[in-house]
Amino acid sequence: MTQKTKTLLERRYSMLGLLLIAPTVLVFCAVIVYPLVSAIYLSLFKIFTPTLEGTWVGLDNYRTLLAKGEFWTSLRTNLIWTVGTLTLQIIFGVGMALVLHQNIWFRSLARSLILFPYFISTVVAVLVWKWLFNDLYGILNHLMMSAGLIDWPLDYLGTMPNAMISVILVGAWKYFPFVVIAVLARLQTIPDHLYEAARIDGAGPIARFFDVTLPQLREVLVVIIMLRAIWDFKEFDLIFLLTGGGPVTSTQTLPLLVYKEAFALNQMGMASAYAVIMMLIMLVFMIIYIRRTRSEDS
Amino acid sequence: MADVVFSSVQKQFGSFMAVDNLNLDIQQGEFISLLGPSGCGKTTTLRMLAGLEFPTGGEIKIGDRVVNDVPPGERDIAMVFQSYALYPHMSVGQNISYPLKKRRVPKAERAAMMAKTAEMLQLTPLLDRKPKELSGGQQQRVALGRALVRDPKVFLLDEPLSNLDAKLRGHMRTELIELHQRLGRTMVYVTHDQLEAMTMSDRIAVMEGGKLQQFAPPKDVYREPANRFVASFIGTPGMNIVDGALRHEGGRWIFEAPGISVGTQNLGPETRPGNAAMGIRPEGLSFGEGPIEGIVQLVEQTGHENIVVVLVGTDMRLTGRTAADRVWRAGESVQLSIDSNQAHFFEDGPNGIRLNRPLSSPGNQEAAQ
Repeated sequence: MTQKTKTLLERRYSMLGLLLIAPTVLVFCAVIVYPLVSAIYLSLFKIFTPTLEGTWVGLDNYRTLLAKGEFWTSLRTNLIWTVGTLTLQIIFGVGMALVLHQNIWFRSLARSLILFPYFISTVVAVLVWKWLFNDLYGILNHLMMSAGLIDWPLDYLGTMPNAMISVILVGAWKYFPFVVIAVLARLQTIPDHLYEAARIDGAGPIARFFDVTLPQLREVLVVIIMLRAIWDFKEFDLIFLLTGGGPVTSTQTLPLLVYKEAFALNQMGMASAYAVIMMLIMLVFMIIYIRRTRSEDS
Repeated sequence: MADVVFSSVQKQFGSFMAVDNLNLDIQQGEFISLLGPSGCGKTTTLRMLAGLEFPTGGEIKIGDRVVNDVPPGERDIAMVFQSYALYPHMSVGQNISYPLKKRRVPKAERAAMMAKTAEMLQLTPLLDRKPKELSGGQQQRVALGRALVRDPKVFLLDEPLSNLDAKLRGHMRTELIELHQRLGRTMVYVTHDQLEAMTMSDRIAVMEGGKLQQFAPPKDVYREPANRFVASFIGTPGMNIVDGALRHEGGRWIFEAPGISVGTQNLGPETRPGNAAMGIRPEGLSFGEGPIEGIVQLVEQTGHENIVVVLVGTDMRLTGRTAADRVWRAGESVQLSIDSNQAHFFEDGPNGIRLNRPLSSPGNQEAAQ
C-alpha cells in the first residue's frame, strides 16, 4: 500500500472544508442528535412531567408498554391510517398528475389550484372539514339528504368506522398534492420519443401507460411512498384536531398516544419510550428510502 | 410502382408553414434522403409519414392506401429515432420484440424473429443487457433491430447517425447501405449531413424553407443543381457563388462581375439580361495562369489536397482545390482561371433557378476569358 502524503495546499483545503461544515454539524447536533439521545435517556426513567423529576427504571417502561393492549391497538390504528391515506394519496396523486400533464386549456390554473390543500394550514383545513362533517348543520349531510342518499344525518366523526374513514379521506385530500407535484415533475422529463416509438410499435394509450409511463415513474413512486409513509406515520395535528383520537380511542394513533402520556397522564418517561419505539418503526422506512436514493445516485 | 406518395402535402404550425405543397413519388425499394438545413421541414415531412404529425393539407399514400387518418401503429412502417428511443427498463431482447408483442405475435414465433434479427445485427451476446449498459453504436443497432424485426413496408430513419462519433458514423453508413441492399425495402432517411445523403441514397430530396428544392439522384443534385440554394448547399467545400450580371453579345452570353468575365453559349432560351449569379465548384477553378488575379487568404491541408481560399478584388472569396504537394503561403499573389464548361448560372435571388443547360450537353465549349 502506498502512503499518500498531503501537500500543504491539500491540508489547507481540508481545513477549509471542516470549517465550512462545522456550523451545520453544530446545528444538527443541537436540534437532532441531542433531542434523540435525550429521548432515549428519558425513556429509561419514570418522570412526572410538571416537575420533570424522575427515578431510574431501566427498561421497565418498554416492558410495560409492550405488555399494554393500548400500544398494540394504537399501532394497528396507526397502520390502518397510514396505509389507507397513503393508498388514496398515491391513486389520486398519480391520476391527477396524469390529467395535469395533458394539454388541457386550464392546465396552468389547475396546477396552481391543486396545491391549495397542501399549502393551507392544517388547523384551518380541519376547522373547515369539521363544519362540513357536522351532523347538525354540516353541508355534507344536507347535500346527501337532498340527493336522497341518506334518510338521517350521519355522524362522520363520532362513530366507527365513519371516523376512521373521514380521517383517512381528509388526510388524502390534504397530502395528495405532494404526490401530484413529484409525479408531474417526473412525467415532464419522460422523453416524447418514447411515446412516439411506442405508438409506431403499435401500443395503444393503455399499453403506453403500462409500458412507458409506469416504468419511468417507478423510482419516483418508491421515494414518494417512503417519504409519505414516514410523514403519515407520525401525523399528529390533523388527527388530533379532527377527532382527538376518538371516538374513545378508535382513531388514536401512536403520536396521539405519546402526547396523551406526556401531557395528559404526565408520564414523560413513558411517552419517551413510545416515541423511541415509533422511531424504530420509522427507521425501517428510512433505511429503505436511503438505500433507494443511494442506488439512484450511483 | 410508387410506394410512398406525397401529393400537395402541407403542414402549418400556427402561421408558420413548415411544409409547403410537397409532392414526392418514392418508388418501391428506393433509399430516399430528405436533406436540408435545420428548420427546412425534413423532419416534419418524415413525422407526417410516420403519423406523428397530421398534414394540414394534401394526401399521403403508402402503397395504395391513403394514410392521412391511419394511426402510426397501423401504417406498416418502422422508425429509428435520432435519440434511438429505446425503452430504458427493457432488455435488448425485450426492446426488439416489443413491436411483435404489441401485434400479438405468438411467443415462440416472436422469440424466433427476435433471435434472427439479433443475429443479423450481431446483438445476440447483448440480449439481456439494458440500453444504458450499451455503447452508442450498440444502442443504434438495437433501435435498428426494433425497426427491422417485423419487416415493415417502409423504414423511416430520423438522423440516426448524428449521435455517433465520426468513425462509427462511417461504419454504420456502410452497414445501412448493405442492409438496404439485402432487404430491398423502401427507406426514407432524414439528414442534414450531405455526405450521408450523397453516399447512401438512390435519390435526394433537398428541402429548404418548407419547400422541395430538387428531387434527383445524388450525381444530378451535385452536377445539375436545380437552383442556387441546392448548388450552394451541396458539396464540400461549397460551390463558389459570384453575384454579377449577364449580357448578350454577338450570339453568346457574357457573365460579368468585378474582376471576372465568363462567356457561355449554354444558357436556356428563357435567359434574360440583367442581374444573375454564377456558380463554380472548387474543382472548376485552375490555379497558375488566368485572367483573374487574387491573393491567397487561407490554406486548409487535408492530406490528399489543399483547399485554397483566394481573395479577388476587395470582398470576393473563391475557393479552389490544388494538389497536396504545392505549398501555398497566405498573402501570396495568384492567378486563376474559371473553366466555363463547369460554370452554372442562376437567376438573381437566393433560390434563383439554374439557367444553363446540363453541363454534359453540347454547345458548352467556350473557355473562360
